[in-house]
Amino acid sequence: MMTTNHTATESADSSGGDRPVVLVVDDEERIPEAFALWLGDEYDVRTATDGESALASLDRDVDVVLLDRQMPGLSGDAVLERIREEGYDCRVAMVTGVDADFDIVDLPFDDYVTKPVGKDDLREVVDELLTVREYDEDVRRYFALSKTRAALEAEKTGAELADSEAYESLRDDLAAQEAAVMDDVADLDTDEYEALFRDLDT
Amino acid sequence: MSSPGHRADDDSALLDESGAVEPGVLDREFFASLVENGSDAIISIDEESRILFANGSVERVFGYAPDELVGRDLTVIMPDRFRDAHHEALARYVDSGERTLDWQNVELPAEHADGHEVPLSITFEEHRYDGERIFSGIMRDVSERVAREERLERQKEQLEKFASIVSHDLRNPLQTAKADVALLEARHGEDELFDELDETLDRMDALVDDVLTLAKQGRAIGETDAVDVEAVAADAWNHVDAPDATLDVRDVSRLKADRERLETLFQNLFRNAVEHGGADVTVTVGDLDDSAGFYVADDGPGIPEAEREDVFEYGYTTDDDGTGFGLNIVEQIADAHGWRAAATDGARGARFEFRGTTNR
Repeated sequence: MMTTNHTATESADSSGGDRPVVLVVDDEERIPEAFALWLGDEYDVRTATDGESALASLDRDVDVVLLDRQMPGLSGDAVLERIREEGYDCRVAMVTGVDADFDIVDLPFDDYVTKPVGKDDLREVVDELLTVREYDEDVRRYFALSKTRAALEAEKTGAELADSEAYESLRDDLAAQEAAVMDDVADLDTDEYEALFRDLDT
Repeated sequence: MSSPGHRADDDSALLDESGAVEPGVLDREFFASLVENGSDAIISIDEESRILFANGSVERVFGYAPDELVGRDLTVIMPDRFRDAHHEALARYVDSGERTLDWQNVELPAEHADGHEVPLSITFEEHRYDGERIFSGIMRDVSERVAREERLERQKEQLEKFASIVSHDLRNPLQTAKADVALLEARHGEDELFDELDETLDRMDALVDDVLTLAKQGRAIGETDAVDVEAVAADAWNHVDAPDATLDVRDVSRLKADRERLETLFQNLFRNAVEHGGADVTVTVGDLDDSAGFYVADDGPGIPEAEREDVFEYGYTTDDDGTGFGLNIVEQIADAHGWRAAATDGARGARFEFRGTTNR
């Protein structure tokens, strides 16, 4: 059953306002600083420059995490695993100089963004993730699988994709997930239906 | 040394007084000498795979003197893994006439006397002699060609790996530099120079992408198929960020192409059209009048005649934001398909023609 939660960000927010909270993690410290400048007018931005302090800054208030992959110590991939294990209800975008390889199909991120990214693109990524977090698990998973597929298709040649079992099973999962979303959609009225696909298409 | 093609002396046994070839003079002995001294190795076997004859060249190719081979099983010059298959295939052919492989220019490795494998191009022949069925293999050592191909392939792989490492290592510093621009602007206030610096960084990012694409295009094209050009052009158009521009695909024939590469070709041409023809440019794709290929045209300012030769060159650009790689990528993709790319005179704007396409 589809549940939309358009007031998700009202949850007890220690920083006082009802602004969404974004946590930026990158070991190159000017990057979180700049991201905070780009996002600060609309979001409460927390920054961390390594995996350990990222986990320390994480709490129930965080809505979106922008996470570098290659960091000394606890890597971005490891931080992502921990976030999921602990059951935090936040959306995570990997923001990385590492091009997508087939191993990303096993990473439970919501979006995959290749550096360098500018202000406008970064805000778009965050806005999109905030939209997605208002939908239920089926839609979120569909979104994440679509992003994984897009990241791989941008990086790999057709022949590499055709040879990859990981890519093939990703396509299967995506088709199954689309069917699940369609099932849910049957319960929506027309306005909600249109809103969903407008949201997902952005 | 005397050979049939040699300029004849007056006392030539091959030519008559007027210089014409004497009929019948090229006798059995001549053919024996041709077979014996030809550069291809020739081995004949019987129905049981026993070697009946080996010419002089086998020594060079396989490291055995001809008389070391005669009487032995042909499998002596085969890598172990082919031995059973060879016996089965020969037995099946002798019984049923069914061939398990092509008989012309088959590429198979043989095993040299010293144990290393020799890549061969082999043509098989069958004939009867003295009532016996004889099978002959005419074998050319293609080691040099194979080694050259492997070397090229390795170089291409190295180039791609190199391009990939360099580009990826550049992405992180580019992000840091973009962050620095934002921090500088926050500290010192807005300045046009900061915007220009940020744009320069974006252009470097585009270069990084193009270098990677180019390194990948350097490889031979993958499998080709008869592709629906309209669909490929539409997919390419989706990757071009130009909401006010128009794509107009006229009736275009299917053509034999690597779909993915063709899409990259269109993407680069479309981006080029938008860069030079403006955000509201109209791009047309259609068949050439003589059906010898297709064209991509736009209604922008066009390319001055004097520059048309140069547009495909590496790094050629008239646009401060361009990387100069786009049309070079286009030409490489066309070349890899065996098409000739040309910038020609459009009715209004720029026009690129691709000739030599086939549709199957």
